[in-house]
Amino acid sequence: MAAADLNTIRATIESRLVTELSKSPPIPVVFYNQAFQPTASSSWVQCLTSFGASEYLGHGLSANSRNLIVGLVVFNIFSAKGVGPAPNYVIGKRIRDLYNRVNVSGVFFDAPIGPQALAKPEAEGYFQTQVRVTFESIEEL
Amino acid sequence: MATIRGESGSVQFETGSGSLATVVGTRSWSLTTTKETLDTSVHGNTFRQFVGSMISGSGTVELVYDPDATGQAAFVEDVIKANDSADASFELFTTGSSSGSDSLAFGGIITDMEITSTVGELVVVSCSFITSGTITSNLE
Repeated sequence: MAAADLNTIRATIESRLVTELSKSPPIPVVFYNQAFQPTASSSWVQCLTSFGASEYLGHGLSANSRNLIVGLVVFNIFSAKGVGPAPNYVIGKRIRDLYNRVNVSGVFFDAPIGPQALAKPEAEGYFQTQVRVTFESIEEL
Repeated sequence: MATIRGESGSVQFETGSGSLATVVGTRSWSLTTTKETLDTSVHGNTFRQFVGSMISGSGTVELVYDPDATGQAAFVEDVIKANDSADASFELFTTGSSSGSDSLAFGGIITDMEITSTVGELVVVSCSFITSGTITSNLE
């Protein structure tokens, strides 16, 4: 029993995405705090992992106790503007299927939200949708 | 003033053939202690009067189910012990797990066990018990 390593949880989430989007057709992926210059009219994905408020799961202080760690992964999917939503939703399906109610190394992913189209894309010149997935992990102290 | 947060509590249990040990994964416990009373009112009394009589207790322990958690299996399965001779021991702690300190200790029988699996929630187990014999209070 040990305190959870949030970086390990983050890596679990992100590596799953990298593996999937490196398959054909490959899609560039960018994470927090990374510089990225997209190619015009191409598709790419931004993956943002955040942790929220943990909850007590049971009795005990720093030993024989458990916490529920919760978090949110936001996938911003960018694709070429003016060609309809289909190419974007194809990527959205790949991401959604990747996390839909699966348990990966003790990280439980809930049913995804989206893809939802954004009226104002965060990157100029792209069509953007967003998939959001909440997740939970149990920390055993 | 020293208030105590619920998460600092714990539950220790032994099923009759070992020593008290912490049940990992408990998330709540309660104990209700009741003293019966005997009516000693007599002719001439205007107000009814009583003396205390038999004392008993009952309560619940709730766990977040984990079949691998230390002590859980013995605790949740005690309800199916046949011909239960009330040889199980409980110690319910408001804080810490030092025997005889901040706790209530007693022998008892687990009378109900309910396990619940609900979509979107953790599987939880709720056990009810009654005390048998002396209830020792260490709530100093």
